[in-house]
Amino acid sequence: MSYAYLFKYIIIGDTGVGKSCLLLQFTDKRFQPVHDLTIGVEFGARMITIDNKPIKLQIWDTAGQESFRSITRSYYRGAAGALLVYDITRRETFNHLANWLEDARQHANANMTIMLIGNKCDLSHRRAVSTEEGEQFAKEHGLVFMEASAKTAQNVEEAFISTAATIYKKIQDGVFDVSNESYGIKVGYGGIPGPSGGRDGTSSQAGGCCS
Amino acid sequence: MHELLAPLLYVLHVDLQHLSQVQELYVDHFNDEFDGTSFSESDMVSDCSFKKTANMNRGTDSEKHFYGGAAKVSCLDKLDPDTRELFLMNDAYGAEGELGVILSEKFMEHDAYCMFDAVMSGSHGVVAMADFFSTSPAMGSGTELPPVVEASTTFYHLLHIVDSSLHNHLVELGVEPQYFALRWLRVLFGREFSLKDLLLIWDEIFSSPNHVSPSDIANDADFNLSLLCSPRGAFISAMAVSMLLHLRSSLLATEHATTCLQRLLNFPKDMSVKKLIEKAKSLQTLAFETNLSSCSPWGGTVRNKRAVRRAHSLSFDSASPRASPSSLPESYWEEKWRVLHRAEETHKTNGVSILSKIRNGSLKEKFGLFRVELDASMMETASEKKDVQSSIRHKILDNACQEGDPRVNLGEIGCNENPDISGTKESFYMDAEVGRDSPGEQADQNFMGGSSGVAEEACLSAKQLSVLCTAAGPRRMASEHDSEKSSVTSNSFVSDNDCKTGHKEELCSSNCRKKLLQDSEATSVTDVKLGQRTSSTQKHAAVLKEQRPLSGKFQWLWKFGRVSGERNLDDGKCVEQQKFSDVGGTCKDISEPLTCDGCCNSCGVSRKLEAEHKEVPGTLRSLGQSMLENIQVIESVFQQEQRQVGVADNSSSTILEAQGQVKIATALEELRKISGLLLEM
Repeated sequence: MSYAYLFKYIIIGDTGVGKSCLLLQFTDKRFQPVHDLTIGVEFGARMITIDNKPIKLQIWDTAGQESFRSITRSYYRGAAGALLVYDITRRETFNHLANWLEDARQHANANMTIMLIGNKCDLSHRRAVSTEEGEQFAKEHGLVFMEASAKTAQNVEEAFISTAATIYKKIQDGVFDVSNESYGIKVGYGGIPGPSGGRDGTSSQAGGCCS
Repeated sequence: MHELLAPLLYVLHVDLQHLSQVQELYVDHFNDEFDGTSFSESDMVSDCSFKKTANMNRGTDSEKHFYGGAAKVSCLDKLDPDTRELFLMNDAYGAEGELGVILSEKFMEHDAYCMFDAVMSGSHGVVAMADFFSTSPAMGSGTELPPVVEASTTFYHLLHIVDSSLHNHLVELGVEPQYFALRWLRVLFGREFSLKDLLLIWDEIFSSPNHVSPSDIANDADFNLSLLCSPRGAFISAMAVSMLLHLRSSLLATEHATTCLQRLLNFPKDMSVKKLIEKAKSLQTLAFETNLSSCSPWGGTVRNKRAVRRAHSLSFDSASPRASPSSLPESYWEEKWRVLHRAEETHKTNGVSILSKIRNGSLKEKFGLFRVELDASMMETASEKKDVQSSIRHKILDNACQEGDPRVNLGEIGCNENPDISGTKESFYMDAEVGRDSPGEQADQNFMGGSSGVAEEACLSAKQLSVLCTAAGPRRMASEHDSEKSSVTSNSFVSDNDCKTGHKEELCSSNCRKKLLQDSEATSVTDVKLGQRTSSTQKHAAVLKEQRPLSGKFQWLWKFGRVSGERNLDDGKCVEQQKFSDVGGTCKDISEPLTCDGCCNSCGVSRKLEAEHKEVPGTLRSLGQSMLENIQVIESVFQQEQRQVGVADNSSSTILEAQGQVKIATALEELRKISGLLLEM
């Protein structure tokens, strides 16, 4: 499993907006109508390709109901990208976006790429937040915006991949110092044939991962 | 929280269902109208007097007459115990009359509520599930952490004692315990296991008392890992650690926190929950003990300091409550290290010099290796040995120490491990104990005694590792990192399997050899080039010889332990058998007598030194006696061995054999002197 880069993502947003379903759709390509409430944090990973470079995404799917700031704060550590999710059928989840954004800005590094996702767009008949409002919010806060549906898989791939593309572009533009792992980016062994790194080679790299 | 309530409700429901089934089956015994009547009914009393007859235990002849015709079972005693229990529980005025009806649909909601409430509030006990949902530090907690974080820290704390290399790996990856433990704790492992398995685990959890143990009240000021104060909390921690250990190899193969956590939070469904629980039970006692002996602050930040960690681990290693880690100056360990170093040198020149003829200097390298490994292996072994203890050691400690040391309790930790491996561990532990136990606590004496133990420690951990390797395959161990397959293997469970194979001796020795080989490979630092294996096969012979002294020593010490325990003489035979198989199977060039004597020599010397510092005459006497007995055992073993060797391989160099005889004779002489000295004192 060689990769050129490894990005850490974090998915945030109110409880019940479909964060875990988005992750499941992205990693497993399936939808679970009844999903267990996430406790703490759950994890997913997938390889994608950007610019012919294999990139590994490691996704931290957080619990939206967690009121435990001291714990949730640490999730942001070393995240290169964040998916901020709201439910287009529940207005309050949109209203809370500002809080989430503030939280993210406060605890994540400043260069973290944040993508705003209006989930459940398949339920347009129950829509409570218009697409324009979402776009407006994203524009105001400098986020990338997309409406998606974890159920129909619409825009799910795109959301994750375009975030990765943005991060990748930032790397190319030299915004990140990729050797500094606090940006949530790790340079892998992508393209280099042969063993995907011995134990000794990686342990030193992994050392600074989240600490 | 509903995930906590649901299993409780389920259990109540299943019980009720069972009751109704039984009721249907024995309908005539259950003319109990309890569920149909309301409490206010006035004729209840008379009704009840009638119902009383349902209890066939006490039914009179005339009453029986009412039911006798239709009843399939005429006497309650003929029912199987479970059903009888059910009868009694549902009989308001029967044998359990004072309790009234226990099982009833009417009570289900109430029961469920009571149980849930008890689980959440902890019934004034230590473990209250509600705490795991709250953000404020628990009352009386020594730390400022929220309870769930504190509990998670406790897991790591225990893990560190049990398996420091895994702990270090997780810490290095930045896997904070609460990332996974939050879920484990909040639903009490409900997400990790199927309901069937979960109920088994809960059964264990809730059968452990939740109150603060009396011994803890005494050092109330000292503890700060509140979870470990009650047996229940200790079991929960032990269960978590048991789970971590189950995933050990899989976790050690991960390179990223996320991958690691992914594996942790996708716990394999196909494992034996019984084994997990068994392991947890054995760790529970350790966890409990740990809390008693751990007095130094243990915050999340402290864990990053290796020095502190080592201090911790070493203190647990020697498990010395007298010298709590916090009271030790930093230089203390340095000094110990130096002394240890010196002791090793002495050990080398003393005992192993005879070996140098045949080992081509490989030993030096080996010792170097051991030393390098020591940091990790010592901690690991320390933990392993604690977790694999048997009552035998308990007795040994009792006899040898006679100090009323709380450590002795450690011996009580149940042992379900491979007896072979635990045997060697015992022997090793014995040595370490004897070496370190001396009341003087002087580093010199300590480590003269301990030096042989250290070598063994290293070798022992090698063994343990190699046990792991046998399952994973020695090559894979080094080269594979992402193999999911290995996730299911953990050393302890592997050793369990080993036990079943019935090839203990062979396995053990071959494991040891494999590990030694691996060591030599590992020194070349990067990954294993298999070409090196061939080069190391050249070393093989030397390594094999190298292995002999160690295994010889194991047995020697084992015997020592046995005999000093003044029992299990038939076990002694077992040792001998093991030796035979070793001699017959692996060692062709009969370095055995030589090596054995080398060990005797070195050990003897170390014992002598140690003995000079001993202050407790009782201990000395028992030591002397046991040494004397030990000598006898050696003698007998030696004789048998000679015979065996003669049979197995009579063509090999008789010169060596003769030499060995001489050496052993001198060693025995030496031992005799020592024991004489000891007895005089």
